[in-house]
Amino acid sequence: MLDTAREIPTPEGIELSLRLAGPVARALAWMIDLVVRLTAFGILSIPVSLLGGIGAGISFILWFGLEWFYPTLFEVYGGGATPGKRALGLIVLHRDGTPVGLPASLTRNLLRAVDFLPLLYGFGLLSVVLSRDFQRLGDIAGGTLVVYREASTQHGAIPAAPPLPPAMLLSPLEQRTLLDLAARSQMLTSERAQELAALAPRLSGATGDTAALARVLSIANYLIGRRA
Amino acid sequence: MKQQAFEAHYEVRWIEFADWLKHSGEKRTKGGGKSALEAMDVPARYRELCQHLALARDRQYSADLIERLSGLALAGHQALYGAHTRGLERVWQFLRTGFPRAVRREVRFVALAALLFFGPLLTLTFAVPRHPEFAYVVVPARMLDSVQEMYGEATKALGRKREADTDVAMFGFYIFNNVRIGFQTFAGGLAFGLGAIFYLLYNGVFIGAITGHIIHSGLAVNFFSFTSGHSAFELGAICLSGAAGLKLGFALLAPGRLRRAAALRAAAAQAVPLVVGLAGMLLIAAGIEAFWSPRTFLPPVAKYAVGAMLWLLLLLYFAFAGRERAN
Repeated sequence: MLDTAREIPTPEGIELSLRLAGPVARALAWMIDLVVRLTAFGILSIPVSLLGGIGAGISFILWFGLEWFYPTLFEVYGGGATPGKRALGLIVLHRDGTPVGLPASLTRNLLRAVDFLPLLYGFGLLSVVLSRDFQRLGDIAGGTLVVYREASTQHGAIPAAPPLPPAMLLSPLEQRTLLDLAARSQMLTSERAQELAALAPRLSGATGDTAALARVLSIANYLIGRRA
Repeated sequence: MKQQAFEAHYEVRWIEFADWLKHSGEKRTKGGGKSALEAMDVPARYRELCQHLALARDRQYSADLIERLSGLALAGHQALYGAHTRGLERVWQFLRTGFPRAVRREVRFVALAALLFFGPLLTLTFAVPRHPEFAYVVVPARMLDSVQEMYGEATKALGRKREADTDVAMFGFYIFNNVRIGFQTFAGGLAFGLGAIFYLLYNGVFIGAITGHIIHSGLAVNFFSFTSGHSAFELGAICLSGAAGLKLGFALLAPGRLRRAAALRAAAAQAVPLVVGLAGMLLIAAGIEAFWSPRTFLPPVAKYAVGAMLWLLLLLYFAFAGRERAN
């Protein structure tokens, strides 16, 4: 199926599907975080700078904290995502799909220093592109994944239509294809949906595009068990 | 069972489960929220949901239902199997047992790192006073001059170039600078250990050359009365950061019966306690270096004694803290 979907087997014998985040989304999230960090540092520096020598000490500590612990703080205690990742809808998880814990988060964020080399995440990008699960080196060592928070929503509910039994026996796969089309029909343009419905003339009856789609929807309604 | 009937039959239970998920999330953050579902029932409900998802997939129900159920299952998986973070108790536990045990477990890497670091450091400390010109080979002349100034007779606060540098400012700087070096040494280990080896040798040579140069310049008393206090925590932490880095590198070089990625993961998990601990040591070192080391109201001998005491305490801590009592 989708090449960025990662299936995780669980002890209950089912497979959970995670959608991996690619380098572009992650780079954008990092840039947002950079702006957030610089802004936070800028705002906090103003009162701190009035304190003289003590202020200089505080701003060193502040910058140190923002540089090394900002991601870990948010990942472990802020629901798995820094503000930048949150804005992009990303979240950091363990490889088994559980929320990231302190050791793994520390590992991935301390090794950021290597991923950042030789320039602007050069090694990190190389590792993301080469690894199967879009992991940078820190992710590999920490055993973490960066995934999209929400599952993809390519399917809506199947719109209600007067149910109609199919004219022939449909295999499970055929049924599934038909249901998928019905579920996506609201998200496609009506022309495209009609065009797709007309691809199966024996099912939809070759009676013009609008009628074909209506018929597919009716059969779908029958298949999921709606009865007149 | 047709999809419609399936949904109608279990809808209430899915809504209850979703409701529990929402409340359990709130409970963790806000401390409120009551759900219709008792906590005791949740694992059974989660297994039931997993079964529903498997059925829905097997029976080729429509995609939106499967997406909804897998969303619930994923959230349930995270809520049930996720690690729950504990607070201060965990910090204390780490200091009492976790950190010293981790150091003892990695004693081979710690010893190797110590050799790489203290080897050149001690060699140069003794060699440079006999061959003073060698200091200029490894350390820029400007820096040697400024070091000499820091420990010269004119200075009021040892180890400072300017009087304007206050204790707190230096405290912040030491944290910013030293902990970063520690973290970089660890991360450098990812390059098959080369980064860690480089930082260990480099720091060893650098510190050794400067120490030798200071001794040659006759400022040894000022220098050692400044450095003795924080030397245990700072030099010890450098060793540990090297050890943690070497562990990463070794896992890549000799993964044993694991795949390299898996070996790296295991090594990183075992190295993290070292890194957390050494960061703590560097914080302590920064405190000593900023607030205690520059003081000149005590005679140097007293400061040497404090330094030696701290070395002893640290070594005893690593050797004995967190050992199980033999029955």
